Amino acid sequence: MRGFIGLSKRNILLYAKDVQAIFFSLLTSIIIFGLYLLFLKGNLLNSIESALGGLESLITHEECEMLVSGLMLTGVLGSALITVPFSCLSTIVRDRENRIDYDISATPMRRWQIILSYFVSAAICAVVVTSLLLTVGLFILSGSGELYLSTGMLLASYGVVLFGALSATAVFMVIVLFFRTQSACGAFSGILSAVGGFVIGAYLPISEFSEGIQTLCCLFPASHVTILLRNTLLNGMLDHMNEAVKGLDNGMFVTAIRDAFTFKAKLFGESFSCEQMVTYIGVVTIVAVAAMTQVYRKSYKRK
Amino acid sequence: MKEVIRVERLKKKYKEHLAVDTISFSVEEGELFAFLGENGAGKSTTINILCTILERTEGKVSICGYQLGKEDDAIRSQIGIVFQNSVLDNKLTVKQNLYTRGAYYGLSKKEIAARLEEFEEHFELNEIVNRKYEKLSGGQRRRVDIMRALIHNPRILFLDEPTTGLDPKSRKLVWDYIHYLRREKQMTIFLTTHYMEETKDADHVVILDKGRIICQDTPAKLKSQYTSNRLVWYTEQSEEAENILAELGDGKLTYEADHYRVHVKSSVTEFLYKHRDKIVDYEVIKGTMDDVFLNLTGKELV
Repeated sequence: MRGFIGLSKRNILLYAKDVQAIFFSLLTSIIIFGLYLLFLKGNLLNSIESALGGLESLITHEECEMLVSGLMLTGVLGSALITVPFSCLSTIVRDRENRIDYDISATPMRRWQIILSYFVSAAICAVVVTSLLLTVGLFILSGSGELYLSTGMLLASYGVVLFGALSATAVFMVIVLFFRTQSACGAFSGILSAVGGFVIGAYLPISEFSEGIQTLCCLFPASHVTILLRNTLLNGMLDHMNEAVKGLDNGMFVTAIRDAFTFKAKLFGESFSCEQMVTYIGVVTIVAVAAMTQVYRKSYKRK
Repeated sequence: MKEVIRVERLKKKYKEHLAVDTISFSVEEGELFAFLGENGAGKSTTINILCTILERTEGKVSICGYQLGKEDDAIRSQIGIVFQNSVLDNKLTVKQNLYTRGAYYGLSKKEIAARLEEFEEHFELNEIVNRKYEKLSGGQRRRVDIMRALIHNPRILFLDEPTTGLDPKSRKLVWDYIHYLRREKQMTIFLTTHYMEETKDADHVVILDKGRIICQDTPAKLKSQYTSNRLVWYTEQSEEAENILAELGDGKLTYEADHYRVHVKSSVTEFLYKHRDKIVDYEVIKGTMDDVFLNLTGKELV
């Protein structure tokens, strides 16, 4: 157990001490935030306010702004849950390329302890960094207005972060085990950062894509995680808007917002409820963990 | 003395390439055992097999009485390895590196702290303990690498070309540590190197070429068997001098700048005494391990 803790601690320290690694692992989130400040906020706000159709007196501009900011926050969190665990897991590739894995293999640590420590350390880094982002994000939002976030939903958001971190770490672990060089891993990381934001609907709502692309995006558990975060963080705000309208539109405005900003994952035209999304993420994670143990055994067999 | 490593007909094959070809040897407790050969001779492959990192193709290996392949965990706790390239983390301090590595062996913080105190006495650890590994000089890094390998107090220390790339001062420092470990701790040292002079203090030398052992013995015996001494006579070139040297009967006579050089198989005392009035300015150079390697393989180590 001490070996497992020691290796996990070492992996976490390596990530925490590398300021550049932290910065680049959050680059997609930073870009999303930058784009939000530059034009995304204005664009989304215009779309929402133009959809109000006479409800302007009941739903205020500030409330619409809070909704847009909340959407941005879910994009920032969703992308961090992709890039941070991947960045941490790149330690495996670095260790392999620099033959540090030889040193670890020559100790009495069990093979399962070695793989588990890489997994746990990456998941811990992802949970800590994303939870910090969530906390800071909520703190800033609370200074701008009311988010109508219940304690239950707040805790559920942190729960989604934990679940998302575990899921992303398991999936990326399988991928990372195939990389032999840091340059290949870095190239993949670049692709991941560029594509990840689109897949989770951080730049553009997934609903704007064709059904095929929507299905493709929703095959990735990261999209489900981001959609779950949208639900936990913004359902309170949408419910409040719906109450403010007092049934004048038969709930059409809020339904339209939920559809437009993808509050439900769509796979092959079928909408997934939150429970179904949780199940989907869980199944993919379990499959990834099973695959990970097989791939690790094969990739670390020194023939 | 007790045998701590026994290797019987060890083979390692990578697809069609036979990296280690049916080698057998044994190492006794407390020995400095040197594995000699040029790059690609199979030294590191053998070390990696003995250290449970690589799987062997054929053969039997036992280390400290434990069978390789069956009792690997027990073997791992008995050995320490200094790899050819450093395997510590640049971004971590020396202390963090040693604490995390100690934990791999199941050591508690208290036990690691006690080991670090021991190291302080001989490795001057305090001056570098809080510095990042990447900020250390080559010699300091090697010092930390050795401490890392010794953190769990192993019975056998494997050193895979520990002085490659080091400046002479750092090389001397590393060798001082190795001698200290042998002298004070009676530790068994298994060394691979391609620096011939580093094997002069070894108890046993194995020379490897293309994966095969071409000879093994003590340095003294190898030198007496595979080298000859050289007599260097500083004199002007003349027929008379060449006739005198011809008495040695070796035939390998050369003249360079201001001296004759001749290989001599037997003792030259009598010869020098006989010609003491003519051979005044001379030196007898003993055969070296470089000569052993050159004579055995026809190649020189770089």
